[in-house]
Amino acid sequence: MNLQHLLLRPSLFAWCESSFLGHAIKYSKWDFALLETFHIIGIAVLLGSILVVDLRLLGFSMRRVSTEQLAREFAPWTWAAFAFMVATGIPMFFSEAVRMSLNTAFLVKMTLLGLALLIHATVHRRATRPGAKENAGFGKLAAYLSLASWLGVALAGRAIAFFMTLNGA
Amino acid sequence: MSLLHFAQWLNETRGSIFLRENDWAFAIIETVHILGLGLSVGTIMWVDLRLMGVAMGGHRPADVLRQLEPWAIGGFSIMFLSGALLLTAEPLKCYTRVSFRLKVLMLILAGLNYLYFHVRIRRSLADYEADQLLPWRARMIGYLSLALWLGIIFCGRWMAYF
Repeated sequence: MNLQHLLLRPSLFAWCESSFLGHAIKYSKWDFALLETFHIIGIAVLLGSILVVDLRLLGFSMRRVSTEQLAREFAPWTWAAFAFMVATGIPMFFSEAVRMSLNTAFLVKMTLLGLALLIHATVHRRATRPGAKENAGFGKLAAYLSLASWLGVALAGRAIAFFMTLNGA
Repeated sequence: MSLLHFAQWLNETRGSIFLRENDWAFAIIETVHILGLGLSVGTIMWVDLRLMGVAMGGHRPADVLRQLEPWAIGGFSIMFLSGALLLTAEPLKCYTRVSFRLKVLMLILAGLNYLYFHVRIRRSLADYEADQLLPWRARMIGYLSLALWLGIIFCGRWMAYF
């Protein structure tokens, strides 16, 4: 199963790769490596900011502060890091779009990313809004769902390279 | 025994060969290493940013430290153990990489930075309230720590290249 099974036109991926952005990165010596490095630094900030709020939801740390306050404080960091991940991720995708369209781990990563964002915008948002009950079962559920989905995104992201060596795509 | 001889010896041990050649071992350990990054640097950075006076300003520095330090230490332990296994799997690759030597150097510096913090700064943190800027020594430790950890991530990723 990969992106090409989703009835997307294969020419779409070829176009991405031959676009100015895709071409420039594909044939540059260090661009991809630099993007990858910054993408990984972004993981630390993104996972870190989500982790602190989720640990609070679970009642494991920062218990002196209300969940709502902590979530409000960390939201700009989460969104900035997310924007940074997208900004470094899209050029990497463009430079090897055809291979990504055949990579199962990439499809899994994108699916989990959608799921993680959905959880963040619904359950997680509800659990961290003003007036949400502290240390409630719902908050804990939201934290576990959030952690599991974001860890899943990171795992699948790492697996993209493993799938490349397994099937050459 | 020189460092090269040690790397060559380690490279031929059964454990090293297993970790290198097993289809799953290396992939799993590397994945754990990357997930550990979120836990370790992802928690260390908030303490650093509070020391620097850039984020978490509304909290007492001693609180931020006490709440997040156990997670940072846990995350670091995961990183250290999985890293040691990765080193065991590919000792000769590590030996030849400039980026690995830089990474080890920066790890030692980060350790010394933490030691200095532990010995000279930690106790005085309790004197500072929320929204209060820390003295320059403490701020400097935050800047150094964050810079070193970013450098360590950078070198870790660049081991794949040179």
